[in-house]
Amino acid sequence: MVTTTNEQIASQSFWRKVMTFVRNNVSILLIYGLIVLVGGATAIFSENFRQFSNLVSLFRQSIVLGLIAIGQSVVVLTGGMDMSVAMIARIVTLIVATIFNIHSSDTIILPMILLGVGVGASIGAFNGFLVTRTHANPFIITFGVASALRGIGLAISNVPIRGVPSGYLSIYDARVAGIPVNVYAMIIIWALAYIFTTRTRAGRALFAVGGSERVARLSAIRVNKTLILTYVISGIFAALAGLFLLARTGVGDPSAAEGMDFQSVVAVPLGGISLYGGKGSILGTLGGVLLLGLLSNVFNIVQIDVYYQQLLLGLIVLIAVAAYRSPRSL
Amino acid sequence: MVETKAAVKELAEPILLLRDIQKSFGGIHALSDISFDLLPGEIHALVGENGAGKSTLIKIIAGAYTPDSGVIDLDGKQYRDFSPDQARNLGVGIVYQEFTLLPELSVAENIFLAAQPLNSFGLINMKDRYKEAVELLSRLGAETHISPNTLVKDLTVGEQQLVEIAKALATDARILIMDEPSAVLPSNDMARLFSVIRTLRTEGRSIIYISHRLSEIFELADRVTVLKDGQTMATKNVADTNHAELVRLMVGRALTDMYPPHDNVIGNVLLEVKDLFIEGTVCDINFQVHEGEVLGLAGLGGSGRTTVARSLVGLAKILSGQILYLGKPVPSTPAAAAEEGLVLIPEDRKAYGLVLNQSMRFNIALPNLRQFSLRGILRGYLEKSAVHESVDTLQIRPAKPEITTENLSGGNQQKVVVAKWLLSKPRVVIFDEPTRGIDVGAKAEIYQHIRDLTREGLGVVMASSDLPELLGMSDRILVFHEGCIAGEVSRAEATEERIMQLATGIVSSDAVA
Repeated sequence: MVTTTNEQIASQSFWRKVMTFVRNNVSILLIYGLIVLVGGATAIFSENFRQFSNLVSLFRQSIVLGLIAIGQSVVVLTGGMDMSVAMIARIVTLIVATIFNIHSSDTIILPMILLGVGVGASIGAFNGFLVTRTHANPFIITFGVASALRGIGLAISNVPIRGVPSGYLSIYDARVAGIPVNVYAMIIIWALAYIFTTRTRAGRALFAVGGSERVARLSAIRVNKTLILTYVISGIFAALAGLFLLARTGVGDPSAAEGMDFQSVVAVPLGGISLYGGKGSILGTLGGVLLLGLLSNVFNIVQIDVYYQQLLLGLIVLIAVAAYRSPRSL
Repeated sequence: MVETKAAVKELAEPILLLRDIQKSFGGIHALSDISFDLLPGEIHALVGENGAGKSTLIKIIAGAYTPDSGVIDLDGKQYRDFSPDQARNLGVGIVYQEFTLLPELSVAENIFLAAQPLNSFGLINMKDRYKEAVELLSRLGAETHISPNTLVKDLTVGEQQLVEIAKALATDARILIMDEPSAVLPSNDMARLFSVIRTLRTEGRSIIYISHRLSEIFELADRVTVLKDGQTMATKNVADTNHAELVRLMVGRALTDMYPPHDNVIGNVLLEVKDLFIEGTVCDINFQVHEGEVLGLAGLGGSGRTTVARSLVGLAKILSGQILYLGKPVPSTPAAAAEEGLVLIPEDRKAYGLVLNQSMRFNIALPNLRQFSLRGILRGYLEKSAVHESVDTLQIRPAKPEITTENLSGGNQQKVVVAKWLLSKPRVVIFDEPTRGIDVGAKAEIYQHIRDLTREGLGVVMASSDLPELLGMSDRILVFHEGCIAGEVSRAEATEERIMQLATGIVSSDAVA
């Protein structure tokens, strides 16, 4: 148990300050350390890895998971879990693709984006409504919603939907200075997410609700409003992921985003956000997403058998989650 | 050390006035015709047995409950009811017994959880928040001990309590309600708490102070209100009353025999501690526990008193030396120790003594299931009759074994813990803070049961920070000081001063008292 006083902090030697920083940020340092380690080692040994195009590909491949993981982080911080994210992404892809199929034109691109986001937000609000009204486990609720969405998706189509206008594909292709625009966009989005969670009252409310609903309520925080907002945010980011997927593949894929819910639930604790809620940082999730993307990339370059990839991934996840203990209660 | 209390300004206008307050919960009258007044700049104690209505009353003042009828007069303005938000804005702050802090967030974040200072962009202004936190902490004399960036989980209980008070001050509370603040504090933090409360009083704030420890009331408060069965029994100046009168008002009868007579016979050695070193001790520890005796363990927080008590059932790593029970080394786990007849009634009954979401019967039977099984199958009738008898003997109320222990009062919860271990027919029972958070009536009953144990030849060890209790019950008292036994005091020579002297290291045991 360490209490650091003001005077002590001032007079602490540089080394002590480093140790305090390390102690308070173990999980983030760990994950980025791993990234540097794995990335560095592969860079040394593999020519293919070092190619600019590969690195660009690495970042671009992480965008879908990255978007979903931001939304998932917000939900997990409040102690919940959103298992409907993959299906929200998919349904948005299918709905927008269907409309493009009927009327393929560059003019409706912006309205379609707004529509997609709207669909995601609405489903999120529905999730939030169910969670706050029924007080049932969010995992179960969102899982049920996901199943329903999966069925609706199949009803919409079980073959790829064509008709996406070429202007829309630029969301995926456009580059500035050789780097895709969407990579820049993601940097900005992550920065905004960081500011939201650390520097706004709404962000602080997430930690409060996740830490103890009872305490949050007593501290005049609107718990229900916060929770609904949380799932709406998750829905919006899932929708953005779906829109991005549509631009990437150019068709409405009925199997889009398969498995992304599980991956996001892995990336979040990997980056140090406690699954019990109330603790962790969005930067950690970014690390988790990057690490997963890096591992996938490295495995392909080094040509490790797919089965071993799964095994190694599973092991890494187990180690990461075992390293974090549940928060002690007061 | 006696302090002259501030003279009560009888002609001053009350800052808070409650009249004819009624509150029922589904047919149960929690409060009937309560009247209560609070003057500015006073420390007003609120006492009463568990279930007398203290909690309900303060929750009404804090806006958490709405009275069914009656009037709340705050600063001259009348209200029927208000929300917690309104109460906070009107200057009412409350420090609950269960802390409302988030352990994973920092001190500053917790203090301003309800209202974080913002900058011009609408983002949280961390610099201002830090500065304001330092300012609040310094008003409590804590700015050198607690840094606003420390995570709350890294603070001691005493420090966390100060953060809770700072949280109330952040909304400039003129009325501060403190619900049993001393129940969670080790004794050396109490002095600091008291001086903080007195400082707040000189600032013109009023403090409503709830406690079961009457000695605190006499040391700290200006006036005291006694509640009993949801009614105001009396409001008196502390200077005009005494311990016995308060107890009589609280309980409705004179509790002259709080502590049972010492008619126990002391027999052979049951437990022997030889040259013991465990984590938390500095000198070697030596003592014995005999049949029929109550051995008191006294000492300030951190003195080793509690660690040694817990080590007797194997809850501490023995670095060197021995603990012999009936001549053999003590088992290394509490479960094994309990089977041998050596049990511990822990300090934190909610966390370590009970399965809260289960019934009385479940809890009492739990360590004794073998007694209730025939050929591997649990027999309900055996269990039920044994539990019934326990509930009867220990006078657990309500006498309904199917009640979830969570819903029992502290005193009855403690009785359930005692009951479950008594069924296992122990020979030595170790109590760690036996009556913490328990009201006067239940305390007397527990003391009686402890005396019954000694009459049956059990050995009792009682580690406690409640000096009157140690003095009233113990045959001998071992006083701990900074990891050593500073001295042993027999019942004949035991006084509060003598024990405190040894506990604070002022006098060594060889010196003449």
